[in-house]
Amino acid sequence: MSTHRTPNRDVAVIATSQTPSYRHFDGPEPVMIMRCVNDLLAETGLERKDLEFTIAGSCDYLSGLPFAFVSNIDGVGAWPPVYESHVEMDGAWALFEAWLRLQLGDIDVALVIGSGKSSPGRPREVFPLQTDPYVMAPLGLDPVSLAGIQARGLIEAGKGSERAFAEVVSRSRRDALANPNAQVAVDRSVDSLLAEPYFSSPLRLHDLPPISDGAAALILAAGDRARELTSHPVWIRGMDHRIESHHPGLRDLTTSVSTAAAAAGAGVQDGPVDVAELSVTYSHEELILRAALGLGDDVSVNPSGGPLAGHPIMATGLVRVIEVADRIMAGGAGRGVAHASSGPVLQQNLVCVLEGAA
Amino acid sequence: MARPCAVIGIGQTDYRKQLELTLDGLVRWAALEALEDAGLTFADIDAVVIGKAPDALEGVMMPELSLCDALGAVGKPIHRVHTAGSVGASTAITGATLVESGRYDRVLVVCYEKQSEGNATWALSGGRSGGQGAGGTFAPWIREYIRRSGAPEHIGWMVAVKDRLNAMKNPHAHLHLPDITIDKVKESPMLWDPLHFLESCPSSDGAAAVVIASEDAARSAPHPPAWIVAHAKRTEFGSFPGRDTVYIQAGVDCATALYKKAGITNPLEQIDCAEIYVPFSWYEPMWLEGHLITPVGEGWKLTEAGETELDGRFPVNMSGGVLSSNPIGASGLIRCLEAANQVRGTAGDYQVDGARVALGHAYGGAAQYFAMWIVSSEVHPTF
Amino acid sequence: MPDLDIEFTLEYPYTRTTGPVLGPFLTGLRDGRILGVRCGSRVLCPPLEYDPDTFATLDPDFVEVGPGGVVTGWTWVSSPTTKHPFDHPFAFALIRLDGADTPIAHAVDAGSPDAVSTGMRVVARYRGERVGAITDVYFVPEASAGPAQVIEPGTEPVRLTTHLIGLQISEPLQPARKRFALGLLDGKIIGQRSPATGKVYVPSRGYDHMARVEMTEADDVEIPALGAVSSFTVITPVRYYGQMETEPYIRASILLDGADSPIYGVDVRDTPVEAFRVGLRVRAVWRPVGERDVTGFDNRQGGNWEQVIERWEPTGEPDVDPARLQEYVF
Repeated sequence: MSTHRTPNRDVAVIATSQTPSYRHFDGPEPVMIMRCVNDLLAETGLERKDLEFTIAGSCDYLSGLPFAFVSNIDGVGAWPPVYESHVEMDGAWALFEAWLRLQLGDIDVALVIGSGKSSPGRPREVFPLQTDPYVMAPLGLDPVSLAGIQARGLIEAGKGSERAFAEVVSRSRRDALANPNAQVAVDRSVDSLLAEPYFSSPLRLHDLPPISDGAAALILAAGDRARELTSHPVWIRGMDHRIESHHPGLRDLTTSVSTAAAAAGAGVQDGPVDVAELSVTYSHEELILRAALGLGDDVSVNPSGGPLAGHPIMATGLVRVIEVADRIMAGGAGRGVAHASSGPVLQQNLVCVLEGAA
Repeated sequence: MARPCAVIGIGQTDYRKQLELTLDGLVRWAALEALEDAGLTFADIDAVVIGKAPDALEGVMMPELSLCDALGAVGKPIHRVHTAGSVGASTAITGATLVESGRYDRVLVVCYEKQSEGNATWALSGGRSGGQGAGGTFAPWIREYIRRSGAPEHIGWMVAVKDRLNAMKNPHAHLHLPDITIDKVKESPMLWDPLHFLESCPSSDGAAAVVIASEDAARSAPHPPAWIVAHAKRTEFGSFPGRDTVYIQAGVDCATALYKKAGITNPLEQIDCAEIYVPFSWYEPMWLEGHLITPVGEGWKLTEAGETELDGRFPVNMSGGVLSSNPIGASGLIRCLEAANQVRGTAGDYQVDGARVALGHAYGGAAQYFAMWIVSSEVHPTF
Repeated sequence: MPDLDIEFTLEYPYTRTTGPVLGPFLTGLRDGRILGVRCGSRVLCPPLEYDPDTFATLDPDFVEVGPGGVVTGWTWVSSPTTKHPFDHPFAFALIRLDGADTPIAHAVDAGSPDAVSTGMRVVARYRGERVGAITDVYFVPEASAGPAQVIEPGTEPVRLTTHLIGLQISEPLQPARKRFALGLLDGKIIGQRSPATGKVYVPSRGYDHMARVEMTEADDVEIPALGAVSSFTVITPVRYYGQMETEPYIRASILLDGADSPIYGVDVRDTPVEAFRVGLRVRAVWRPVGERDVTGFDNRQGGNWEQVIERWEPTGEPDVDPARLQEYVF
């Protein structure tokens, strides 16, 4: 199977938008999307009809309503009729499909969205439904418990420590103080964190992400169209995603082989990495992901705070792409890596490499 | 630019209530059959795409996560499309796009539903009492079509009989009703006026799969490829002031874009046969009009004249269609693969002789999502 | 002020056919034994229908494994959810049972996190009532397990396993819907007029999706409870879990005077079908003040109008021409 095929057409992120991460958004999900879409149109001067393909990522089960995703097109606009699609996954996978769709050459501009409200349900009770329906889901086997098993495994393999996990939390939430969209931004010392009780040992409550509502969106444009629309296109140099076995017993939970494979497929090591936004949903994952992506200690990881500071599930991965793109657009970085994950204990991983103009 | 691509393998389970398999077993049946048909194994596949309708139908959230092993996707890209009832065709289109992009050479597309594990009407009602399901939503629109067109009441009954008799030739079909007649349909209980029980689709379990491949891979496949000549999707809001829910703009736009891409100027003459998503009988004439195959008000006349029969001028739902088998997430893919069967000459007893160009179609939601494709025995058919 | 927050349980008892591998596995659990399946030189537990490396279908060749095994990884669950196997703290662990080469994820009732460690031995214990599900078994530290249980096997193989999946959804009504629901309690129908297009929506979603514009309380308008039937069908109820309807009834959409979208999902039981038609002018007769209930109106569904409206009465006015209503069907 081939890896790292150079795309046919250069495709760039030309505008981004995200809502803050809310503990609880008191309006409907389409309104969060609407704000992002209106923001993008205002920023670019484009009209709805200029967005030739739209694709959204969201998950019905989060809202507890089958077909919940249907209302989300209210935020996007569908009259006159539009060409659009939907994946029941994080918006980062919608981005992947949009990126490939633009390779066909018949259309040049795509709108990509990710959104979700986790607040109405109880995530620890919803997410076991992602596991094997016969031998795992009926146990209520939730992603926090699986993360705890993985974190302990990391420590026992000599690849991590509770202190290292607390350092991720401390740094991430402190960095989040500079992020106006962050939900949990606070400066706490490592020692104060380590004094807290376990929640799912060896993880503590602060090692877990907050429960969030939020939406994010971006516009992709190909080649010359991208250059027409912005003087700061952020080019997607590569993108790939892979999945591992869903049986936790069949995996080495202390590494992320799918992230490493996706990184190779996206060409992460083909250039310098100035910034990385990784979907670190549980603090210990940062250690695993850094290793899988080959990121040295000198690489700035999650300057936004990452998911530990705000975790609008189904938008989180797309937000990582947006945070990297924004920094490149602002001139703070030349080349960056964004990562998204899906499933318990980093089962599925997507890696995207973004670069500003030389 | 878009590379040519083709369907080179087709697999389907039998469609029934409560197939005695796990979800793994269900999808593997279809996937393994498609791979064998394509002369391939899991190892030859570059990427997998799954499509299905709401997860609440089976109570399994984001099933690509728990099915990736069963589908040989470990170490590979897999993702999941969800566009309500149209999802089977949307997923087929996504699979085609992945190959057309140049990124992947062989993509496995799998769509399924195992409705017997849950309850479709419960899920469609959001888990609440008093749900009207899909039929209850569409029935008032069908009444409006009948009012506008002046169509006689027996048109729906004729479609119900035609599709079930076609299904007798399809060993995979859920409903095999050899004794079905107009009178039996008319006398079956009324569900959502004017739809009788026998004018409505069954609730089925089933999985369908196709292998879509690039031109080089297709030319070395064991069976003639079904070239994917064109595809289109369109969506509109389910409700808005002034919405015409009978002659639906998104359906018209989708067909227009599709035909333009395929170079089709006269669909009635230039398309040899069609697999159209008809879950309730009256949608046959409504889609014939709504997708520009007949003029407005004339769709029911084509049906009444017998032209949509297997031996008619414009055969529709040769396989028995959704009225004979409806595993919701798979149904749109089944329409697309049955169109492919026709142009490959692999449609068995319901083969339309010499079918060269065929239409596969699905719709979903409040008849607001449309996904359609044209397949042909020729990579660039001319008309 | 009534509590209008929505608490809803999305619940269904899923029944799953078990197939040729899980069927015997779950039958085994019901009968007090754990089965793995051979795969090349390995034994897999939990058993799979296919080889996880080659993905080839396995011809099931079962091997009894356990009842003891080794913990290869674990976490202490301090705050169990309502879906966990225990309501007191316990460990989730990966357990490689004796005779198996792969670990199974399951629960260990150990009493305290100090009693759990990687490498420790645990042993299976079976619930008093077993149904052929993964929850029939759990694990305890082997050292303190006590004597082996005597399990009476069942007679029929397990072909179906059931999982009651219920999710608690708790969602406050969003502002426009809250004002709408309060309006109903007050005998008023409150819609919203788009500041961008002037179109009137009832019930409003809180925004105008045609123009992508949010609406506020300033956009609220009162609509008379009077209008024309724009579409309808007669529903014969389908039985499903949670369904409470039994007799056929009319379900209609009604375009209220001044509105640009019809109210939807209006159940009519008092008017015979012969007297009901598209274009019929009707007026709402409200339930008495104390009897109005808005719990059926949430953020998305059209609502349960019967809870606030006692009946829709024909006004006696001339019908509206159905052709004028054809774009207000839904």
